[in-house]
Amino acid sequence: MIKRFSALSPSWLFAAPALLVYAVVVLYPSVAGVLYAFTDWSGIGEGMSFVGAANFRAILNDEQAMGSLGNTLLLTLAIVVVQNGLGLLLALGVHAKLRSRALLRVIFFAPVVVSPVMVAFLWKYVYNPDPSAGLNGLLGLEVDWLGDPSVALWSIAGMVVWQYAGYSMVIFLAGLEGIPAELHEAAMIDGAGTLQRFRYVTWPLLAPALTINLMLSTIGGLKLFDQVFAATNGGPGYATETLSTVLYKQAFVFGKFGYSTAIALVLALFVAAVSLVQIYYLRSREVAQ
Amino acid sequence: MTDLQRARMSRGQFFRMMGGLAVAAAATACSTRPQTTTPTSGGTGAAAAVDLKFVGVADQKAPMDALLAAYQKVKPGVRLTASYAPTDQVQTSLRTQLGAGNAPDLHVVYPGNGSAMSMSQIAGAGLLADLSAQSWTGTIPTGFKPALQMDGKTMMYSAGSSVIGAIYNKKVFEKAGVEAPPTTWTEFLALCDKLRKAGVTPIALGAQTPWVTQLITYALVPSTVYAKDPAFDDKQLAGQTSFAQSGWRQAMEMYLELSERGFFNDKPNGTTFEQQISMVATGRAAMAVQVSAVLPDFRKSASSPDDLSMFPVPGADSADQVWIPAGVVVGLGAAAKGRNVEEAKAFIDFLGRQESINSWAKTISAIPLTQDAGSTIDPAVESFLPFTKDRAVPFMDQRWPNAEVQPVHFAVVQELLAGKATIDEALKKMDEAYQK
Repeated sequence: MIKRFSALSPSWLFAAPALLVYAVVVLYPSVAGVLYAFTDWSGIGEGMSFVGAANFRAILNDEQAMGSLGNTLLLTLAIVVVQNGLGLLLALGVHAKLRSRALLRVIFFAPVVVSPVMVAFLWKYVYNPDPSAGLNGLLGLEVDWLGDPSVALWSIAGMVVWQYAGYSMVIFLAGLEGIPAELHEAAMIDGAGTLQRFRYVTWPLLAPALTINLMLSTIGGLKLFDQVFAATNGGPGYATETLSTVLYKQAFVFGKFGYSTAIALVLALFVAAVSLVQIYYLRSREVAQ
Repeated sequence: MTDLQRARMSRGQFFRMMGGLAVAAAATACSTRPQTTTPTSGGTGAAAAVDLKFVGVADQKAPMDALLAAYQKVKPGVRLTASYAPTDQVQTSLRTQLGAGNAPDLHVVYPGNGSAMSMSQIAGAGLLADLSAQSWTGTIPTGFKPALQMDGKTMMYSAGSSVIGAIYNKKVFEKAGVEAPPTTWTEFLALCDKLRKAGVTPIALGAQTPWVTQLITYALVPSTVYAKDPAFDDKQLAGQTSFAQSGWRQAMEMYLELSERGFFNDKPNGTTFEQQISMVATGRAAMAVQVSAVLPDFRKSASSPDDLSMFPVPGADSADQVWIPAGVVVGLGAAAKGRNVEEAKAFIDFLGRQESINSWAKTISAIPLTQDAGSTIDPAVESFLPFTKDRAVPFMDQRWPNAEVQPVHFAVVQELLAGKATIDEALKKMDEAYQK
């Protein structure tokens, strides 16, 4: 009797609604997406046929998709390096015994809670090409931030870093708060200066926070969509196209839903592979230290 | 142990509780209304017999608001809830709804082909109801039939056509000593030169907004391509010609000439449509090549609506070789698989009445699909009327075979303006997209 009703045990029953929702909202669309990647479905209507691996082969010959892969990797690299570097500096700053540190923490974290699309619209004003307006007016420059193909990608990276540096800061801050004060005191007694204490005490013990930050910012960079879509829509030309904007356009602008899901599948696998490598490398570094 | 921990629940109680929660959640979900919804009045408060939903683009709100109120009086038993969003958002959400089989009863449709939400693409998937039995469809002018019909059946409604030309600030022209709009390309260049010497930006270009990039080529191509070969579209479809082998090259060269001679505002790729409007409306720029449907937006931003007017952009050096683009404006269709197809079609039939056509066309400064004594033509577009009979062609994308050519056109124009591509490369990309 006990075995017969084990599937209806209270623990399963309580989990059942959540599992059902997860299956309907996450699992079913994911599996369906994988299947659509092997079809030529337009996204509307019932007509579709199985095309085997043709969509995946087409990605390799798609100049726009391959170009967007390069843009995505450059954006991700810039975001990961600058966002985490800035986040670490901010964390060290607000970890110090400043009277206004609570206020500064709130101010630096505030952009994180704003919608990415709103941030993009806000930065379109900041990036006004008029020499007397926005960032140009402030710095006395004449840069076409979003209209010059050689600058636009870095302008997007700038707005993403502005928004998420506070997020990295919070994670680094949690790591800093967890470092026992005794270790710093011992290092000071041994004659270590500020830089030496950072190098030999703080930095090694921040390894778990660094792992999380690098992984989250890498994933965020690789699937970046909202800010690009709202600020430049991939332009000028194809200068800021990312894999996410390309797959969106393939599905909803060009009506190639099957091909779009093939790109999405490749992107998902790529993000998973990069994340696994990162975790493996960074965790082994944590253990080594 | 607390009372809560001691409390036991039978399996039956658990299922009843979960069932109750599910019902409550469903009731809550069903009671949620979209924020963008603009429901029409329910008359005296009596429950409507039929609920219809319409999803459109923002440009359709003004004409639809007036016609929804009128329809409420004609059919008080029908409540039509309309919501509007920018084109990109509508394209995303509507295509998803169409794909999932839960499209609204009525929705925006773009004329002809060449867009993922165009009549040919949606009707081709069997998702638009046939409107051919409605009387207004019998009066559709021959030139507009390819945009509204597929296989001889009318699949969408549109109130008329709009034109592409130069929206200009009359005060700026007067101040610069310009007496009359140009009628040839040479005169147009001379005008731009005169305006620039007068210290004003001749042409405002908001090329950061993708769809704005196409308008100058669209304004020129009728003269450089179709005036010489009215059957160009058919030949291109048959593979007998291409963008690279046609007057598209000349149009691109003319576009770049305007850029190279400094007739555009500084950094057009970083300038948006909204900034373009502001520049012309406030007199910082003299004109903008635009579609007449956005004339109301320019007027709203100007100190006086009378400051603005339009003229055809002359794309040839002989006035009689100047042709213009005149395309069917964005319209709507009825979902073939909707729950209230007949009521949805009845609303479109109402829109097909001459007074409805006049009302819609007047609101967006369009030329009405059909005209009677009550039809009005916006004075700003009157200079286009002599062309509409035999020297006008539909917007080019409406006859392109797929939805990829238009976005490629946007992108290559941005690349040309940035000096990152040559005309040969741009036309090659467009030809490649056309072949897909």
